[in-house]
Amino acid sequence: MLNYFIKRLLGLIPTLFIVMTVVFFFIHLLPGDPARLVAGPEADDTVVNMIRHELGLDKPLWQQFGQFFINIINGDFGISIRTKRPVIDEIAMRFMPTLLLTLTSMFWSVLVGMAIGMVSAVWRNKWQDRLGMAFAVTGISFPSFALGMMLIQIFSVKLGWLPTVGAASWQHYILPSLTLGASVAAVMARFTRSSFIDVLHEDYIRTARAKGLKESVVVIKHSLRNAMIPVITMMGLQFGFLLGGSIIVEKVFNWPGLGRLLIDSVEARDYPIIQIEVLLFSLEFILINLVVDFLYAAMNPTIRYQ
Amino acid sequence: MLKRYRYKSLLMTGLAVYMSLIAFPSYATKEVTIAVYSNFSSLDPYDTNDTLSQAMAKSFYQGLFGFDQDSKLVNVLADSYTVNEAGTEYTIFLRKGIKFHDETDFNADAVKATFDRVTNPDNHLKRYNLFSRIINTEVINSYTVKFTLNQPFSAFINTLAHPSAVIISPTALAKYGKDIAFHPVGTGPFVFTEWNATDYVKGKKFDQYWKKGLPKIDTIIWRPIIENNTRAAMIQTGEAQFAFSIPYEQAKLLEKNDKLVLVSTPSIIARYISLNVTKKPFDDVRVRQALNYAINKEALAKVAFAGYATPIRGVVPAGVDFAVDYGPWPYDPDKARELLAEAGYPTGFSTVLWSSYNHTTAQKVIQFIQQQLKQVGINVAIEAMEVGQRVARVESVPSVDDAEVKMYYTGWSSSTMESDWAITPLLATSSWPPKMYNTAYYSNPVVDEKLQQALLTNDRETKKILYKEIQDQIWADAPWIFLLGDKQLYVHSKNLTGMSVMIDGSFYFEDIDLH
Amino acid sequence: MHTNGSTTIDVTSASQGQVRTPWREFWRKFKRQKIAVVAASFILLLIVVAIFGRWLAPYDAENDFDYMLINEGPSMAHWFGVDALGRDIFSRILIGTQLSLTAGFFSVALGAVVGTMMGLMAGFYGGWWDRITMRISDVLFAFPGMLLAIGVVAIMGNGMINVIVAVSIFSIPAFARLVRGNTLVLKNMTYIEAVKSIGASNWTIIMRHILPGTVSGIVVYFTMRIGTSIITAASLSFLGLGAQPPTPEWGAMLNEAQADMMIAPHVAIFPSLAIFFTVLAFNLLGDGLRDALDPKLDQK
Repeated sequence: MLNYFIKRLLGLIPTLFIVMTVVFFFIHLLPGDPARLVAGPEADDTVVNMIRHELGLDKPLWQQFGQFFINIINGDFGISIRTKRPVIDEIAMRFMPTLLLTLTSMFWSVLVGMAIGMVSAVWRNKWQDRLGMAFAVTGISFPSFALGMMLIQIFSVKLGWLPTVGAASWQHYILPSLTLGASVAAVMARFTRSSFIDVLHEDYIRTARAKGLKESVVVIKHSLRNAMIPVITMMGLQFGFLLGGSIIVEKVFNWPGLGRLLIDSVEARDYPIIQIEVLLFSLEFILINLVVDFLYAAMNPTIRYQ
Repeated sequence: MLKRYRYKSLLMTGLAVYMSLIAFPSYATKEVTIAVYSNFSSLDPYDTNDTLSQAMAKSFYQGLFGFDQDSKLVNVLADSYTVNEAGTEYTIFLRKGIKFHDETDFNADAVKATFDRVTNPDNHLKRYNLFSRIINTEVINSYTVKFTLNQPFSAFINTLAHPSAVIISPTALAKYGKDIAFHPVGTGPFVFTEWNATDYVKGKKFDQYWKKGLPKIDTIIWRPIIENNTRAAMIQTGEAQFAFSIPYEQAKLLEKNDKLVLVSTPSIIARYISLNVTKKPFDDVRVRQALNYAINKEALAKVAFAGYATPIRGVVPAGVDFAVDYGPWPYDPDKARELLAEAGYPTGFSTVLWSSYNHTTAQKVIQFIQQQLKQVGINVAIEAMEVGQRVARVESVPSVDDAEVKMYYTGWSSSTMESDWAITPLLATSSWPPKMYNTAYYSNPVVDEKLQQALLTNDRETKKILYKEIQDQIWADAPWIFLLGDKQLYVHSKNLTGMSVMIDGSFYFEDIDLH
Repeated sequence: MHTNGSTTIDVTSASQGQVRTPWREFWRKFKRQKIAVVAASFILLLIVVAIFGRWLAPYDAENDFDYMLINEGPSMAHWFGVDALGRDIFSRILIGTQLSLTAGFFSVALGAVVGTMMGLMAGFYGGWWDRITMRISDVLFAFPGMLLAIGVVAIMGNGMINVIVAVSIFSIPAFARLVRGNTLVLKNMTYIEAVKSIGASNWTIIMRHILPGTVSGIVVYFTMRIGTSIITAASLSFLGLGAQPPTPEWGAMLNEAQADMMIAPHVAIFPSLAIFFTVLAFNLLGDGLRDALDPKLDQK
């Protein structure tokens, strides 16, 4: 078991290497010359060439790739083309706001989502189920920018209760995490429901019922663990998505996070930032998946990893 | 019942306290938050190309010359200047008794240090091309400095008044080197305190500011808020006291708010569609004129700009030096059809219109143009380009033969406020992409020649005549569809005074105050 | 007990001439669920609109405009009001149905097929297969979707087909992980051991015994993805990468409405409702299908 996880951790390295290579060539395929973008329309040819040379973009591609690779191994993540700050600083200062927003959103949405899902599964096809699923469907089909705008209009502009932008205090987290969590809660609710329905019809649950156990005991003690497996997969996935920073929510709330950084960097073809940020996302993702697999094993002893 | 009521009132009190905290920043120290539409690219005005960053940097920096509230050229750190007969040597006499934020004296050495830096190509500064005509900056005495140019350039003082041409403390330059962008030290009204790249730039009052009694506020905070609706929300909640720009669609809504003042001012930003004159059918002047006749600019202003735009009245925007007013190009679809028939396209043709922006206003504009041209039989496929695509497919195209651009919706701000910068980069033969922004690939030897001549003379009358002839020629050749000059919309809270948006999209905030 | 548990749901073998074909069995169970039937009817209606929208719409979606009525609210002449360019919103939604449905459905279908195969292989064979598949899915996942989509479209060019490809890539890893998770559980089940012991080939085991067991999960996720994909396609339209204006794709309409939604909410509300009801229908249908497909839910 332990061996397996050590192997998986070592497996990180080739994955990250693939990501690095893919992202490098991928962004160089994107149309748009970063030197000209950063120089702006008022700059003439001389200035653009000057900047291109300064950024090392006039070198052959394979040389740039080699340089990028060597720099990363040496722990040099480069300087942003757009802001001229070190990439590591740019990412570091946005990491916490995105992480905290992700955690707060995940926290409420998983709790609420799973509660709704369980209620819906137990009272399947009753009004509780209908209500819960109505909520879930609304949650996934409402575009998040519209939801964010609506919340700002109601709670900030009309009522004046909450601030609109920034991440300075806990109040700042309420509206963005509601917006961000809505779809997660909906997904969790639906998933929990379907997973629970599956489990509630398993033979061992029937046996438990037949033994005359109370329904609450059946649901919580016997079903929960097994129903959790797909639910945890989904949770891991959603967590990874959110950690990448939701571009739209961060844009609407002017959130100082990684999603906004990514979209700004893509727009400016800020190669160094895009490369490192994508690498970071990959790392986070893989680690989360590892944790998910670990939880699988913890919850269902029939799963064995060699 | 009673108990529940008490909870409720407690909650309400809490909310009220909280609201007052967020809605009314403490007045003991006067703090103004300005919400703006885009991120700041740099605090070094020589190393950035966006108007907004430069405008914001004016909190910390000042130039030798500048523009006042009415966009008139005025002396700032300069007292006066003289030009030699040939128009190649500019001697500037400096104001005395001015200090930088770091206590360094402002003098000729500071000016020299600043300009030596930008004119050295090894520093890779983005504004290099604006100042590349300077071959030497010489200290005559402590308060006199002489610029020598490689050729006569009559718009030089305007260049020195450009928002990027500010004077940086030589001590700070030596100390921070390349990192000066993170530690701006100038002579401006505010001392730089913090640049939090994700959220704001902050400055505090400079006590030794050379204009006595100014600034009247203690802290200035510049906050980039990119999302239009969010920016508009922020000024309504009181989290910002000034917001620029405001989405046109929301102007009516904000106008009704009695805590706010909505202001619209003209701009020197011209919106036009360049027509690639090397491509059929745009090589025919009748077609280009027909396109100009086919578009109802008044209606465009109403549809896409909620009325906050006016039809262009010439090649150079009104307000820029030497602009000639021809009146708006008339809307006459019959005339357009006639001209198209004459040119051999009685049933119209099909073509492609690209937009250099993909924001909602631009999308409205290009759809409107599509609708209008359909009326005269022209089928237009439209595409709003993302900025990288624009660079790849328009600005970086190596030669005219590779250019696929046909109709191209874009805009230009003549930020030096004189005609050369409004015409040369956009319409001179030497400005074809990838050199500059002549996306029409327009080329007229007479125009090129006269643009050169105008730069060589310092005589206003001669320049006036030359620029008039240039503009006459271009207006007749119609390499563009002349569309609109958009107005700038901004909102400030009623208790804020002394701040406005100037015609070039930068800010005037010398007298900013909060009551 | 459910003796034929794993075979009743084999929908593809519906042509066998038995009295109780799996297909009939499915239909018998499906039609009991009123809500799902309503949802299915609504989707059928949508498909009809998608095909015939062009002739049903009272106005031309792109070329009929009236600048006097800009942002006018709903009226008898314009049921859903008029948009910021003076066009009839009702007509645009009708005609846009085709694009939005096509984009939503095909992008998920493509992603589901590829992702499911990957997940089955990974879960069943384990070892190298698992590692390679999961690595690909890690890379796909970790690669921010928007960046990927921008890349795909920027390299291949603007247009709906490229958007479908880009959006389908979003779905692949999710399906792969989901199916792999289920496969891991199923392959240790006794009935799989039993099938193995009678010497069934791996292919048979995967396709006939494991895949059916994962179908309900796939179907539920599939229906949910359609909604997500419609919204993703919309976000791409917003970045100027999807349907180009004035194409009345719902997402593009919604994004165009951003500027006007504060003063004329109806320009945003109607495309939102169109998306909302479509997603709702697909979800409800998905639930219905799930119940009808699940052998364990046989008549009680």
